[in-house]
Amino acid sequence: MARRGRPSSPAPTPPPDNDDILSEILLRLAPAPSSLPRASLVCKRWRRLVTDPAFLRRFRARHRRGAPLLGFFTDGKRVRGVLFTPTLEPPDRLPRGCFSFQPADEWRILSCRHGLVLLIHSEQLQVLVWDPVTGDQHRIAVPPGLLTREGMMVIDGAVLRATGDVHGGTDTQSSTFRVVLLCSELEFSRAFACVYSSENGVWSDPLSISYPPMFVTNIPSALVGSSLYWYLIGDSAAILEFDLDRQRLALIEMPYGYEMPFNFCLIPADGGMLGFLCVSNHDVYLWKRTTDGGGAAVWVLERTIELNNLLPLSSHEALKIHGFAEDGKVLLIGTTDCIFTIQLESMKFARFNIHLASLNSRICHPFSSVYTSGMGLGDEQENELLLDTSH
Amino acid sequence: MASAGSGDEKAAAAAMITLISSDNEKFEVTEATATLSQTIRHMIEDGCTDGGVPLPNVTSKILARVIEYCKKHATAAAGEEGSSSSFSDAAFLEVDRAFLEELEEFDDAFLEVDRATLFDLILAANYLDIKGLLNLTCQKVADSVKGKTPEQIREMYNIVNDLTPEEEAEIRRETQWAFE
Repeated sequence: MARRGRPSSPAPTPPPDNDDILSEILLRLAPAPSSLPRASLVCKRWRRLVTDPAFLRRFRARHRRGAPLLGFFTDGKRVRGVLFTPTLEPPDRLPRGCFSFQPADEWRILSCRHGLVLLIHSEQLQVLVWDPVTGDQHRIAVPPGLLTREGMMVIDGAVLRATGDVHGGTDTQSSTFRVVLLCSELEFSRAFACVYSSENGVWSDPLSISYPPMFVTNIPSALVGSSLYWYLIGDSAAILEFDLDRQRLALIEMPYGYEMPFNFCLIPADGGMLGFLCVSNHDVYLWKRTTDGGGAAVWVLERTIELNNLLPLSSHEALKIHGFAEDGKVLLIGTTDCIFTIQLESMKFARFNIHLASLNSRICHPFSSVYTSGMGLGDEQENELLLDTSH
Repeated sequence: MASAGSGDEKAAAAAMITLISSDNEKFEVTEATATLSQTIRHMIEDGCTDGGVPLPNVTSKILARVIEYCKKHATAAAGEEGSSSSFSDAAFLEVDRAFLEELEEFDDAFLEVDRATLFDLILAANYLDIKGLLNLTCQKVADSVKGKTPEQIREMYNIVNDLTPEEEAEIRRETQWAFE
């Protein structure tokens, strides 16, 4: 009695009466924020399974690779601290204040990647790695030897998980991460980089590189393969490369004719190559670092995206790049009163109203993660809350 | 790729395994096909397959489908091993890509079954410990509830709502945004 499609019989077959198998099915639900809350409302059994802490750990680990872009973090201006702005459509749009970071006053965001946020304390003596979904916080002291030189300061940083933890697709939970700090002396002609690994809790010895005076911009770093890239500006501009595997720092020059773009972001381009996006009027140019026939590294203009044909823009509106989500290849670009998210492969876009005046800078840190908060509360606590409201 | 694998196929053809379904039907399969099941692989390693492997939890109807899946995927596994040594060869990569596409098409067609059969396949994949088949079938069920409300999921799968009104209200309050 093989039927195609949905059977119309009055009593459809329920799923197997086996918790392990049902868990295997539920683990494969889409990593959209609404998936688990909806599943938890089906029946007691489903609810018990999807609120089990071990299940939630497996769910997060399994979907880490395809984690959706939930929104972005910004450093607040009027409201001091870290602000989250959701960008998914309902029913997956999270409440605005769902990721609260306390105490936020003294902390500034350096980097956001692989579901983790890296913040630095204003006194520069410690950094903090925050998982907004689980609430986990790791405070890490800046290596004591690093800031003892006169005029040394932390100018940027990056957080990342090991490649295997992001792309392994295993169900095992691994919370290992690495933090990279970039420091510079006052004259901005030398950079120092050192790496912290949560596996052994140790900072590596700093590496350094000298160059003509340039400062590292607040444009977030890009991770391409096992290398991080920062954008440097001075009399000219350049890209600083830190190869984490080979433990090597290098300087990459900008392409001819693009000596110092400001409306700019670094991205991982196709084929595991470094790329960047820059905007002129309503056009986005995608440049890619590749090798020519002789094996020498060259820049090529890979693509021009004419946003006039895509977005509802009026001719006088200036566009600014706010950020780029590496995992989902989503560009955040905006006018003075709204931000567009554009997926660069499908070219699907969405529009969000936002008052840029409320932000401290135009830099947005896209945040992709598997949202499971609110699913793992203990029943006892919930029952107490219930009793309170019934009185 | 076919020439690279032919020696192995001959060797595997020599080692046949008999699987016996719950309704006592016998299926002759190659060891390469049978060992996609970790359960059967362990039995072979322990030397307990003489006289056939009884599978009291699997009907002949389902076992035939499972064997169909294993045959196809065992060939795929042999193909991967054969081509890995010449990975840089563009022609081989092209063949691999075509084969992977064919395998995907096979999987899609394989999943075109009614819900009862799908659940039986899940149970069999779980019992026989065939990871690829378990993943494929569980994913199919998970995809079927994508974007559905709890009410629609209950209706689709004939699930009784045994949550108390208080519990329901509480879940909705905790994650109100997910039901908008």
